[in-house]
Amino acid sequence: MAAVDHPASSLPHLQLLSDLTPPSLERTWLTAPHPRLPIVATCSSDKTVRVYSLTNFRLLSTISGGHKRSVRTAAWKPHVQGESVLATGSFDATAGIWRRWDSYGQTTGDEGWGLGQEITTKSKSQQEQAQETDILRQQQAADNDNDGGADDEDEEWRFAVLLDGHDSEVKSVSWSPSGMLLATCSRDKSIWIWEDLDDGDNNFETVAVMQEHEGDVKCVAWHPVEECLASASYDDTIRIWREDLDDWGQVACLRGHEGTVWFVDWESVENAPVCSEETLLAQWKGDLKRELSGPRIVSCSDDRTVRVWRRQPKEQAATGGTGMPSILRPTGLDETWEEETVLPKVHDLAVYAVAWSKRTGLLASVGADGRIVIYEERLVVVDDASAGESQPMDTDPPAAAAKGAVRPEWAVLAVLPGAHGIYEINHVAWAKRADRGRDVSREEEVLVTTADDGSVKVWTVKR
Amino acid sequence: MESSMQNSNPTILNAADLPTRLRPSSCKAGTYGGGILASALPSLADPTNFSLSESEESDEDVDLMEEPIDEQEIFDLVSTISDPEHPISLGALAVVSLPDISIKPTLPDVPSSLLRTVSVLITPTITHCSLATVIGLGVRVRLEQSLPPRFRVDVRIKEGTHSTADEVNKQLADKERVAAALENGTLMGVIAKMLETCQ
Repeated sequence: MAAVDHPASSLPHLQLLSDLTPPSLERTWLTAPHPRLPIVATCSSDKTVRVYSLTNFRLLSTISGGHKRSVRTAAWKPHVQGESVLATGSFDATAGIWRRWDSYGQTTGDEGWGLGQEITTKSKSQQEQAQETDILRQQQAADNDNDGGADDEDEEWRFAVLLDGHDSEVKSVSWSPSGMLLATCSRDKSIWIWEDLDDGDNNFETVAVMQEHEGDVKCVAWHPVEECLASASYDDTIRIWREDLDDWGQVACLRGHEGTVWFVDWESVENAPVCSEETLLAQWKGDLKRELSGPRIVSCSDDRTVRVWRRQPKEQAATGGTGMPSILRPTGLDETWEEETVLPKVHDLAVYAVAWSKRTGLLASVGADGRIVIYEERLVVVDDASAGESQPMDTDPPAAAAKGAVRPEWAVLAVLPGAHGIYEINHVAWAKRADRGRDVSREEEVLVTTADDGSVKVWTVKR
Repeated sequence: MESSMQNSNPTILNAADLPTRLRPSSCKAGTYGGGILASALPSLADPTNFSLSESEESDEDVDLMEEPIDEQEIFDLVSTISDPEHPISLGALAVVSLPDISIKPTLPDVPSSLLRTVSVLITPTITHCSLATVIGLGVRVRLEQSLPPRFRVDVRIKEGTHSTADEVNKQLADKERVAAALENGTLMGVIAKMLETCQ
C-alpha cells in the first residue's frame, strides 16, 4: 500500500485543514454540508445534531431535544430562501424537521450566521456574497466573544414536525432536487416518500411506501435533477425508483455487491473525466450512447468494493439492442443498469460511505479500515496494443475499441491511512471551502470526514 | 422464558476444568460451594483484573512490542457471561472455548497499524437455537465495553454448528444494527442480565 501522506511529497495528497471543535464525545455518523451556507450538520449518538462553521471550524449550535435515540442521518432542504430547513433521521424510528431563520441572532449580534431580509431581493450571486461577508463578520464577533451566545442557542432551532411511520430505525433521509419530496428509509425494509406541502403549517403528506427491499434500507439518494430515487440495502442490492402515473415503483434492481450496500451517491449531470486534450474530450462528449444514459451511480459495500453503475440508454433498451427479448420489459419505465466498473481496490474492511464531487468529479471513499481514498476518472486513449491488457471498462467488444478510441479509467489519486487515528470513518462529504486560507480567485473544495470517536475533520486535496 | 426453553438439558462442563487466569489461590469459589455453577458466580471474575489491564493498555499502546491482551484474557472476559436460558456460563456450556478465540492484526498489510481484530467463534448448544444472535450480541457488547478502542470485535457462529449461521453472522457484523440494539431497552435488559455474572 503506497501511503501518500507525506506533506513534502509532490504527489497528490490530503492535507488536514482543521478538526471541527468541540467534537461530540460519542460516535458521529454523518456530516451534511449546507447547500448554500458555509455550515455543516453532524449527527451524533448523543441524540443531538451539531452545527459547525466551515469558516472557522467551530460549533455554532446544538440541536437537541427532538430525538429519543441516536441521530443517524440528516439532510438540508435545497432551494429554501431566508431559512434553513434540516431533516434528521433517528434510531427512534422518526424523522424530524427543524427550521431556523437565517436572520436569527442578527439583531443581537451574537454568533448567528444571519442574513438580513433586505438582501433577499438582490440577485443570487450578490446575495451569496452578502451572506458570506455577513457570516464572516458575525463569526469574528463570536471568536472575540469566546463561546458567547451558547446559552440562548435553544431558541434558534425550531422543531417543526416529527414524521412518524417507520417501524424501526431510520437510516437515511434525502430531499429531492426540487426540495418538494423527502425520502426516508429504515431497518423495517421500507422507503417512504413524503411531500412537503410547504403550507406554512409544516404539513407533510405520505406519497408512497415502497417495500420491495428484502433487508434494512441503509441509504437513499435522489438523482441530481430528476425525481428518481436510488436506495442501498442490507439485501446487497441497489434499487431505482420512479413515479408512474401517481404510483411510485421499482424500475431497476442492481445486483453485484457481495455484502450490505452501505451508501449510494449520484454523479452530477455535466461531469466529465479529466483530460488535457480538447479533441479527445470532444470525442468523449460526442458519444451519444453515453449522453443518453444519464448520470451514473457510485456505491460502496461491506464487500470492500466501490462500484460505478450506468444505465443503458432507454432507446437501446426499447429496441432490444442488447439482444434480450423485449418481452422481459413489461413496462416502459423499467431501466436496465449495468455495473460499469469496480474501482481500484484499496479498502481492507467495509466501505461505509462514498461521495461523488459535484464540482470536480472526484470520488472519495471511507470505511472501517480508517482510510480515506480519492479516485479520479481520466480519459485514456485505447489502442490495439493496450486494449487487451488493461482492465475492461466497457461492455463494448474489443473490436469496437479501434485505434484512437477514448475511454474513461479510474485511478487512485491519494490514500490516507488512519485518517482518524484508530477509529472507523462512517461518512465522507465534499463541501465548498470557506475558511480564510482559501484561494478566493477560484472555487475550492474540502472533504469532510466523520468518525466513530466523534471527530469530524476537514481536508483539502493538494495536487 | 423457562416454559419455552430451547435446550432444557445442555451439556455442562465443570468450571474447574475451564482454562482461566482468573482463579487465584485465594479464590472464593469454595465458599460458594464450587461445582458446576461456580463459574456463573460473580465472585469468580475479579473486576480489578480487567480495569488494571485496560488502563495499562491505553497508556502503553504506543509500544508495539507490548501486547498484554491475549486469547486467555478474551476467554476470561466472555466465558463468565451467562446463557440467556440457563443460569450457566457460556464457558461451562462450551458456547465459547479458548481454541475458538484468536487475535490478529486487523490490517496485516500495514505493519505499523495498532488495530487488532479479536475473533470469537460461538458454538450454540443446539443447531437451531434462536438465541444465538442474543448470545453473540452479549459477547460483542462484553468485549466492546472491556477492550480498548483499537480492538475490533468479530463475533460469529462456528461453521457447521447452526442452521442460520450466515444470517446471524451478517447481523452481528453490522455495526449500525449493533449500535441500534444497544439502544433497545428490552434487548439490553436481557444482555445486562447475561453480563451480571461477569463482575
